[in-house]
Amino acid sequence: MTILAELPTPAPTRAAAPVARPSFAARIRRAAPPYLYLAPALVLLVVWTYRPLAQAVRLSFHTWNLLPTSPITEVGLANYERLLSTPDLGASVWRTVLMVLGILPFSLVIPVVVGLVAARVRGRIYQAMIFAPMLVAPVAAAAVWQWLLDPGAGAVNRVLGVRANWLHDTDLALLTIIVVTGWHIVGFAVLVVSAGLSGINPDYADAAAMDGASRGRITRWITLPLLSPTMAFLVLMTVLLSAQWTFPLIDTLTQGGPSDATTNIYYLLWDYGFHSYDAGLGAAAGVIFFVGFGLIAVGVVALSDRVSHHDD
Amino acid sequence: MFRAGSSGTVQIRPVSAIQVEKLTQRFGAVAAVDDVWLDIADGEFMVLLGPSGCGKSTLLRMIAGLLPPTEGRVLIDGVDVTHAPPQGRDLAMVFQSYALYPHLSVARNIGFPLRARDMPKRAIEAKVADVAAALDLAALLDRRPRELSGGQRQRVALGRALVRDPGAFLMDEPLSNLDAKLRAGTRAELSALHDRLGATFVYVTHDQIEAMTMATRIALLNNGRLEQVGTPEQVYDEPASTFVAEFLGTPPMNLLDVTLRSGVATAPGVTVRLDLPDRDLILGVRPEHLQLTTGDEAMLRGHVTRVENLGSEEVAICAVGAATVRVRARRPIGPRAGDTVALRADRFHLHLFHPETGRRLVPLTHQEISCVS
Ligand SMILES: Nc1ncnc2c1ncn2[C@@H]1O[C@H](COP(=O)(O)OP(=O)(O)OP(=O)(O)O)[C@@H](O)[C@H]1O
Ligand SMILES: [Mg+2]
Repeated sequence: MTILAELPTPAPTRAAAPVARPSFAARIRRAAPPYLYLAPALVLLVVWTYRPLAQAVRLSFHTWNLLPTSPITEVGLANYERLLSTPDLGASVWRTVLMVLGILPFSLVIPVVVGLVAARVRGRIYQAMIFAPMLVAPVAAAAVWQWLLDPGAGAVNRVLGVRANWLHDTDLALLTIIVVTGWHIVGFAVLVVSAGLSGINPDYADAAAMDGASRGRITRWITLPLLSPTMAFLVLMTVLLSAQWTFPLIDTLTQGGPSDATTNIYYLLWDYGFHSYDAGLGAAAGVIFFVGFGLIAVGVVALSDRVSHHDD
Repeated sequence: MFRAGSSGTVQIRPVSAIQVEKLTQRFGAVAAVDDVWLDIADGEFMVLLGPSGCGKSTLLRMIAGLLPPTEGRVLIDGVDVTHAPPQGRDLAMVFQSYALYPHLSVARNIGFPLRARDMPKRAIEAKVADVAAALDLAALLDRRPRELSGGQRQRVALGRALVRDPGAFLMDEPLSNLDAKLRAGTRAELSALHDRLGATFVYVTHDQIEAMTMATRIALLNNGRLEQVGTPEQVYDEPASTFVAEFLGTPPMNLLDVTLRSGVATAPGVTVRLDLPDRDLILGVRPEHLQLTTGDEAMLRGHVTRVENLGSEEVAICAVGAATVRVRARRPIGPRAGDTVALRADRFHLHLFHPETGRRLVPLTHQEISCVS
C-alpha cells in the first residue's frame, strides 16, 4: 500500500544572518537631511512668528509706552481688564464680522459664478484680466481709489452721477472699504476656484450627462459638491484674513474713521499700540485675537471637513 | 454575481442599432479617429479593439455624444443624433475610471439616472434595490465609492448603467482595473448579461482575450482607422492585414518576407511551394500551426534560441535566417535551445499579405492573387 505524505512548505535554505545595525554616525547621517532642509524655514518661523508671539504674550502683562528709555512695569491682568471693560473691543469685533460678511460675496459667490462661467468660455486673457487687481500693491491701489472716490472731482461720483462722500460718511465708509477690499481679492479667489474646478475629474460631469442630468443639475448635483473643499478653503481664508486684507486700506483711506466707523480689530490693536503708545493694551488685544482666531480656525476646519466632499 | 432578479430586472428593452458614417475626429494635425464606418446591429456585442492610443475611446465618446465629431454622422435607430447632446441619446456608459460620484452613496450613485429623470423617490428606491440585489451590492448601498474595492466599484458602475433601460450600453475598458481572476469571472458575467438582456453593447478594450470571448463582432482599430470588422473567428482565422495578424494571438502570427519565383517562395531558411505567379509577399503562419518535421516537406529550417514554458504548452523561439519564428505546441515541445529544427504547416494555414500595404492577399481564381479591397 502507498502511504501519502503532505508536501512541506518551502523551508529556509540557510540560517538567517543577523541584521547588521548601522553605526550611530551612519544613522545620524541618514536621518539629518530632512531636518537640514527644514532648518531655514524653521529659523524664520521662530525668529519672525514664535518669538514675537511669546513677546506679545509677555508684554500683555506689562505696561510700556514704547520708548526704549522708559521702564516696562508688570501689571498682571490689568491690561485685559481694561480691554474687556471698554466698548471699543465689542464694537470693533462687530465691525470685523460685518467686513467678513461683506467680503464673502467677493471671495466666494462671485468667484464661483465667474469660475463656472469661465469653465465654459475658455480663455487665458479673461483670467489674467480678473487676476490683475491682485498684483496691485494695496497702498498704491488705495492712493488711486482715494482719487477715484474724491467727493468733488472723483470719477466714481461722476460715473454714478451722485455726490457721495464715500470715505468720510459714517454710513458709507465701511461699505467702501468692503468693496475696495473685495475688488482687490476677487481675482485671487477666482484663480483658486478655477484651480479647484480644473482639479475635478471631467468624467463625473460626462457620466452625469450620460445619466441624463441637465447642465444646471450637473452643476448643482455634481460640480458644486465636489468644489466644496475649495469653497471651505475660501470661507476659512475670508474669516481669518479679512481683518488683515482690509487693514492697509483702512490705514491709508480712513484711518479707522469717520468716528471709528471702519475700525476693525486689527486697526484697534494698532491704534492702541502706535497711536496711544499703550503697548501692553495692544499686546493684550493681540493675544485675545490670536486665541479667538485659533478657536475659529479649528471650528471652521472641523466644519468644512464635515460638509466637504473630497474627490479621490 | 449578476443574478436575474425575479422581481423584474429583466424585461423587454428597447434595443438600439447604431450606425457610424465617415466619423472623424482631428486634434490639431492628428486624426485620432479617421473615416470610420460601422454598422452595429441591435442586440450586438460589438468590441472596439486596438492598441493604446488607436482612438477607441475617442470613437466611443463620439457615439456617446461627449465629443462632437470633426466630420461624419452618428445614427441611432436611423435617426441622425450627430448634434444631439448625450442626454438625448438614451445610451448608458461605463467609464474606464468608473466615474462614480465620490460624494454620493452607492444607492444614490445607482439611482442617479432615475433621479435625473424625476422618477418618484419610492420608485427609485425599489429599482435600486432590484439592481443591487442582482449585482450582489445590497449590503454596500450606504457606502461611499472610496470605501469599495475595485471589483465592487465596477459593479456599482454597471448598476448605474443597468438601472434604466438604455438603448445601448457603451463600455470603455470596464475590466482594466481588475485583477486577472476577477476579470475572467466578470467576462463570463458580462456575456451572460448580454445574452439575458439582448441589449446592444459597444465595448472598448485593448485586451484580445476580452474581445475574443465576449464579442459577437470585433472592430479592429489602428491609428484611428478600421483595419477589419468581423466575428472573432473571422478576424483570427482570416486577418485582413498584417496588423490584425500580429495583434491577435499569443504569440502573434509569424510573418516572413519572401520572394516567389517559379512556384517556390524563398527567403533565408524558407522554402515554400506556392502555385502562384512570381511576386514578393509576406508569408504568415500562426505558431500553433507549425509542426516539427524531419522529412523533405520542411518549409522552414533554423535553430532554437529559447524555449518558453506556458504551463500546458511551450513556445520554441527559432532563428530562421534573419527572422524569428515562434512555434507553440503541447509541453514538452521536444527540441531545446541550440537544436536545429525543420518546420512545416498545412497549406490552408498559410496567410499571404501584400509586402507594402500589409493587406491580405486572397486568390481570385486558383491562378490569380489580388488585394482585399
Ligand atoms: N483631447 C485631446 N487632445 C489631443 N489629442 C487627443 C485628445 N484625446 C485623445 N487624443 C489623442 O488621440 C489619440 C486616440 O486617443 P484615445 O484616447 O481615443 O485612445 P485609446 O484607443 O482609447 O487608447 P487607450 O487604450 O490608451 O485608452 C491618441 O493619440 C491621443 O493622444
Ligand atoms: Mg481609452
